[in-house]
Amino acid sequence: MSNPADHLDIGALQDLKEIMENEFETLVNTFISDSQNKVDELDAVLQQQDCDALRKVAHSLKGSSSNVCAFRLSELARQLEMMGKEETLEGADQVLSALRVEFRAVSDILSTNL
Amino acid sequence: MDNQVQAVETQGEPIESLRILIADDNDSDRLILQTIVRKEGHVVYTAKDGQEAIDIFKEQSPDIVLLDALMPNVDGFEAARTIKQLAGDNLVPIIFLTSLRDATSLADCLAAGGLDFLSKPYNRIILQAKIKAFASMRRLHETVQAQRDEISLHHDRLVHEQEVAKQVFDNIAHPGCIDAPNIKYLLSPMAVFNGDLVLASRKPSGGMFVFLGDFTGHGLPAAIGAMPVSEIFYGMAQKGFSLQDILREINKKLKRILPVGVFCCASMVDVSFRKHSAEVWVGGIPDVLVYRKQTRQLENLKSRHLPLGVVDSDRFNTDTTLIQLEKGDRVMLWSDGIIEACNPQQEMFGEERVMEVLRNTEDADAMFDNLVAAVERHTGRGEQDDDYTMVEVTMVGEEEMGNALGADGKSYMAGGPKDWSMTYELRPLTLKEFNPLPLITHLLMEVPGLRPHSGKIYTILSELYSNALEHGVLNLHSDLKASADGFARYYAERTQKLNELYEGCVRFHIDHHPVKDGGVLTIVVEDTGPGFDFKSKEENRHKTEGYSGRGIPLINTMCRSVRYLGKGNQVEVIFDWHVDV
Repeated sequence: MSNPADHLDIGALQDLKEIMENEFETLVNTFISDSQNKVDELDAVLQQQDCDALRKVAHSLKGSSSNVCAFRLSELARQLEMMGKEETLEGADQVLSALRVEFRAVSDILSTNL
Repeated sequence: MDNQVQAVETQGEPIESLRILIADDNDSDRLILQTIVRKEGHVVYTAKDGQEAIDIFKEQSPDIVLLDALMPNVDGFEAARTIKQLAGDNLVPIIFLTSLRDATSLADCLAAGGLDFLSKPYNRIILQAKIKAFASMRRLHETVQAQRDEISLHHDRLVHEQEVAKQVFDNIAHPGCIDAPNIKYLLSPMAVFNGDLVLASRKPSGGMFVFLGDFTGHGLPAAIGAMPVSEIFYGMAQKGFSLQDILREINKKLKRILPVGVFCCASMVDVSFRKHSAEVWVGGIPDVLVYRKQTRQLENLKSRHLPLGVVDSDRFNTDTTLIQLEKGDRVMLWSDGIIEACNPQQEMFGEERVMEVLRNTEDADAMFDNLVAAVERHTGRGEQDDDYTMVEVTMVGEEEMGNALGADGKSYMAGGPKDWSMTYELRPLTLKEFNPLPLITHLLMEVPGLRPHSGKIYTILSELYSNALEHGVLNLHSDLKASADGFARYYAERTQKLNELYEGCVRFHIDHHPVKDGGVLTIVVEDTGPGFDFKSKEENRHKTEGYSGRGIPLINTMCRSVRYLGKGNQVEVIFDWHVDV
C-alpha cells in the first residue's frame, strides 16, 4: 500500500473521525458504496458520451470525496467535471482509469483506519 | 482541533438550539453535516432532494435551511425559491451547500434566495459561525417584525380610536346651523383634531350665534376642550342665554378643566336679523373683519380679550363691540391657520395678502371663495390644509332666515310649558327657612323664549314676595326703613318675627299663556296679612320714594300693569313679553 498521506489529508481525517465518533464507520461504508456507484456511473456516461451527466456525477463525487479528505480523488473528479462542462471528452478515459485506481487506494486506507 | 472548538463554544453565550433542515442528495456528505450540526446542539431534519426539502419545510418550518445546490428531481435553486415563498414575511436563512466555484453559479444561489454558501469540504468552525450569525439575524428579524406588527397594531388602534372620537365629536361639536343660507365656512372634517371648532346656533329670539374657536395644541388634547364648549354653546343658546352668559360659562368651564397653557382663542358673534346689528367678542384670535357692501370698506375688530380658559371668572371680560349691519354686509371670523399657511419657501400667507384679496374682489359673493383659492395657490396644495378655518356671516332680512329653530317648521315656541297656571302656598315652616324665588324662576324659565327676561321677572318676584312676607305676614312697617338706624331695627324685627311665626302664609298664583312671538305672564301674590288702604297709596305715589317702597314704581316700568286687589293683601302684575328683547 502506498503512503496514506499521498491520498488523504491525515490531520483532517483525524478531526473528522473525532467528530463522527462511532458514526465514522457508517460514514466510511456509505462513502465507499456511494462512490462505487458513482464510479460505475461515470463509466457508463462516458461510454454514452453524455457530457451533462458526466459533469453532474463527477461534481457530486468531487464534493463527497473532499469531505472525507480524499484530495486526490476529489481533484480527479474535478477534472472529469470540467471535461463534462466543456464538452471535451479527450483523455477522459485515462482520467477515469486514474480515478478508479485512486478510489481503490482511498477505500483501502479508510477501511483499515476504522 | 476539538479543543479549539470547545473554546469557541464556551466563549460565546449559551448556544441556542435551532431546528435545521439539511438537504443533500449525497449520503456521506449529509451524514457528515448532520453529525456536525447535531453536535452543536441543534435539531436536524434531513432531505435527499429538493422536493423532500420542500415537504419537510412545510411540515416542520425549520429555523435555518442548508441546501445542496445540485440535487436530483427538484434542485436546490428551485427548492430555495419555493421555501422563500412559503416562508412569506418570515426570514428563513437559506445557506447553499456547494462545491461550485464559478461566479455565475454563486450568483444563481443568491438570486434564488440564498443568503450564504458553505463549501465542501465542510469546516466545523465556519459552519458553527454561520449558523450562529444567521440565528441572530433571524432573531433580529423577528424582533423587527414583532415591533412592526406592534406598531401597525397601535396605528390601527389609534386610527380606530380617532374615528370613534371623531364620531363622538361630530355628534357633540356639530356645527349646528352652519348650513344656513347666510353662512359660508371652511372647516376640515378633521379640524377638531387641529383644535379648530365652528359652532352656529339660531337663538330662540330669531337671531344667530356663531362661534369660532382655536384650541392650543393638536390631536386629542386639542379636541377634548371642544366637547364642553360645544355642549355649553348649544345648551345655553337654545335656552335663550345671552352671548355674555355663554362666554362666561365657557370660560369658567375651560379655566377649570384645561391644564395651564391650553386655552381656546375664539371669536363669537351675536347677530340680530331684526335689528340689523351684531355684537362681536374677540379673544386672542385674528381680527374679525366687517365688510360693508355699500362702501366696499373693510373694518377690523381687533381682539380685546384674552382667550377663553385663561382668566378666572371675576376677571373675565365679556364686553362686546356692537355694529350695525346693512343687508349684504359681512362678518368674517377665522383662525390663524390661513395667515400662517406657508408656501414651499416657508413664507406665510399673512394678513396683508388676506386684506389684498378681499379688497381686490369686486363681487362680495366671491370674496370667500377667492380667499380660499388664493391661499391654495400660495401653499401650492390643491387640497385644503387641515388648519384653515373660516366663517363668513352675511346680514340678511329676517324673512330669509326662516324658522329660528330647525328647518322642520318646528318653532322655538314648540316644546316646553307655555300655557299653564299654578298656585304655590308657602306656610310658616317654609317661610322661615326657604327662599322660593330660585325655584319659581327656574320653573318660569322653562317657558320657551322667556329666559332673556329672567332678570326682570326675578326683580318682580322678589319685590312682591318680600312685600307679602314682610309687610303682609310679618306686618312690619316700611316707615321704619326711612332712617338709617331704622333699617337695622327693621331687619332685627324681621328676624325675630319670622322665628316666632306660627300662622299665616304667602300664595303665588302664576299664570302664563302664549301669544304670537311671546306671552303674557300674570303673577298674583297674596298674603294673610291685614292688607292696606292701597287707594290712598296710589294717589300719593311720591310717598314711595326714599329708602322704602322703591320696588313698586320700578316694577311699574317693567309691566303692563300692577294692581292691588282685595283689602290690599293681593297684588297682581301682568307682564307682557316678546321674543325680541
